[in-house]
Amino acid sequence: MELVVQGILLGGLYATTALGLSLVFGVIRMVNLAHGDLLVVGAYVTALLVASLGGDPLLLMLPAAVLLGALAYPLQRFVLNPIMRHGQEAPITATFGISVVLQTVLLLTFSADPRTINAPYAATQVEVFGIGIRTTLLIATAIGILLVVGLDLLLKRTRFGKEVRAASIDPDAASLVGIDLKHTYALVLGLATAVAAIGGTLIALTFAVSPTSGTSWLLRAFTVVVIGGLGSIRGTLVGGILVGVVEDVAATVFGAEYRDVAVFGVLVLVLLLRPEGLFTRKVRRA
Amino acid sequence: MNATGSRTLRTVAAYAVPVVVALALLGLADAMRLSLVNQLTSLLLLAILAMAWNLVSGFGGQFSLGHSIFVGVGGYATAVLLDHLDMPLVPAILLSGLIAAVVGVILAYPMLRLRGPYFAIGTLGLTLALLGWMLNWDFTKRSQGYTIPADATVDLVTLLRITVLVALVTVLAITLIMRRPLGLALLALRDNEDGAISVGVRRLRTLMPTWAISAFLTGLMGAVVAMQKGQLTPTSAFSIQYALDAVVICVIGGLGTLYGPLIGAVVVFALRQYTADFAGWATLIEAIIVILVVRFFPDGVMGLLSRGRDAVAAALIRRRGARAAAQTE
Repeated sequence: MELVVQGILLGGLYATTALGLSLVFGVIRMVNLAHGDLLVVGAYVTALLVASLGGDPLLLMLPAAVLLGALAYPLQRFVLNPIMRHGQEAPITATFGISVVLQTVLLLTFSADPRTINAPYAATQVEVFGIGIRTTLLIATAIGILLVVGLDLLLKRTRFGKEVRAASIDPDAASLVGIDLKHTYALVLGLATAVAAIGGTLIALTFAVSPTSGTSWLLRAFTVVVIGGLGSIRGTLVGGILVGVVEDVAATVFGAEYRDVAVFGVLVLVLLLRPEGLFTRKVRRA
Repeated sequence: MNATGSRTLRTVAAYAVPVVVALALLGLADAMRLSLVNQLTSLLLLAILAMAWNLVSGFGGQFSLGHSIFVGVGGYATAVLLDHLDMPLVPAILLSGLIAAVVGVILAYPMLRLRGPYFAIGTLGLTLALLGWMLNWDFTKRSQGYTIPADATVDLVTLLRITVLVALVTVLAITLIMRRPLGLALLALRDNEDGAISVGVRRLRTLMPTWAISAFLTGLMGAVVAMQKGQLTPTSAFSIQYALDAVVICVIGGLGTLYGPLIGAVVVFALRQYTADFAGWATLIEAIIVILVVRFFPDGVMGLLSRGRDAVAAALIRRRGARAAAQTE
C-alpha cells in the first residue's frame, strides 16, 4: 500500500517531467531527444539562482523557466524549424546534437557529481493516511497536477491554444487560415522548455541531478508519454502514475539497482505492444 | 572508352582500391613509429564503427542509438572467450562478431517494428537496460570489469594489422551489399517505405540481414577495442559515446554515402588530436558541428564534394558550349 501511494505521488513528478516532451511531439511532431537535458539544465539554472539570490527554489524556478523558455524560442525558430524540412531523420540528429551540447556544457561548467537543491522542506516528511511521505514529493505532485490542468485549459480555452491545436491537427490548413506555424512551433518549444525547467527543479528537490542524468530522464519521460499517448496532456498524468508505481514495485522486488532497468523494460514493452499509447484510440499511421 | 568498359573498370576499382590500400598498410605497419601505429588503429576503429552504423542508419534510415550494445558484446565476448576457452585470438574475434550478430538478430525482432524516433529511443532504452544488467551480472564480474588475460595480449603492430583487415572486410562488405538488390531495397525502404513495399520489397527481409551484418562488423570492432584497451568495464564497453561517435562521424562525412564515414572519421580524429588537452571541449565542438551540418549542409562533406564536382562539371560544359558557339559563328 505504501508502495502504491509512493508510486502515485512519484507519478505526479514524472508527469511534470514528461509534459514538455508530449507537448512538443503532439504539436510539432518532433521527438525532442534533448528533453531530458532541458530538465537537467532547468535544475541547474534554478540552483544557480538559489545560490546567488538566496530564496525559495519553488519561487526561483519561475524566472528560470521564463529564461529557458525565452532561449528555446529562437532555437526552434532559427535552427529546428528549417531542419524539419529535411525529413524525419534530421530533427532526430539535431536534437541529439543539442542534447550532447547541453550535457557537455554542464560537465564543463559544473562537476560531474550529482547535486541537489536544498530547501527547508527537502528532508521533512508529512503523515498522510498513516504513511510517511516526503514533503517534496507531495509538492511535486501538486505542481504536476496543477501544470497538467493548466496546460489542458490553456490548450482548450484560449486563442493561443486553439491555434496550437489547429497547427497540430492540420498544419497546412492552419497556415492557410493565417496561423504562423513557425511562430507557433517556437512558442510551443518555449512553453515546453519552461515546463521542463520546473520539472527539473522538482527532480533536484526530490532526488538529485548530474550533468549526464538527462538521458535516463529522457527515457523515463518518453515511457510516460508513450503510455499516456503521445501528445495527450492528461495522459501524461496516467502514464506518470503507472511508471511511478511499476518502478517502486520493481525496486522493492528486484532491488533498487534495477529501478532504471524496469523503466526501460516497460518502455520497450509498451513500444512493442501499443506504440500509439495505452489509453488512446488507435490512429492510422500517416 | 565505351560505357560498359568504364562500368567494369569502376566495379573493379571499387574493390581493388581498398584491397591495395589495405595491403600497403599491412606492409608498412612494421616501418611505422609505434605512436603512429596506435593512432592509426584508433582512427580505423572509429571508421569501422561509423561505416557499420551507416549501413543501418545512413543507407537504411533507421537511426540507431543502440550500436554501443554491439561494441560491448563484441568486447566482452572476446574477453570471456580468451579467458575461459583459451581460444586463439583471430577465431575469438570472429566468434565475438558472430555473437554480436546473434544478439543483434534477437534484439532486431522487437526493435525493427519501430520506426523513426521510436526506433532511436527504443534502441537507446535497450542500451541503458543492458548496461544496467551488465553492472549487476556476476558472470561478467559486475561493475568491477574484465581484464584481457596477459598471455593473450598482442603487440600494437599485430593489432593494427587485425584492424586493417577488419576495416577491409567492412569496406568490401558494404560496397558489395550496396551494389546488390539488397542495397537497392534498403535505399528504397528508406526513401519511400510504402512505395517500396508496394513494388515487392520485404521490409524485415531487407532490414534483418543488414542489421545483422552491421552488428557483426560492430562486434568485430568492439573485440579489437577490447584488445587495444586491455580491460573492460560495463560503463566503458557499453558507453553511449560509441553511438555518439557513429552519429557525429557519419553526419559530418555524409550520411548514407560509402566513403563519408571514412572522411568523417579522419575529420573527427584530427579534431580530437588537436583538442586532446581540453577534455570535453572536443565533444562540445563536435556536437555543435553536427547541429550546424544538419542545418546548413545536410549531406556532409560528401555532399559538399559532389556539389563542388557538379559545379566544375557545369562550368566545363558551359565553356565547351561557348567554344562550340564561337566555332559555328
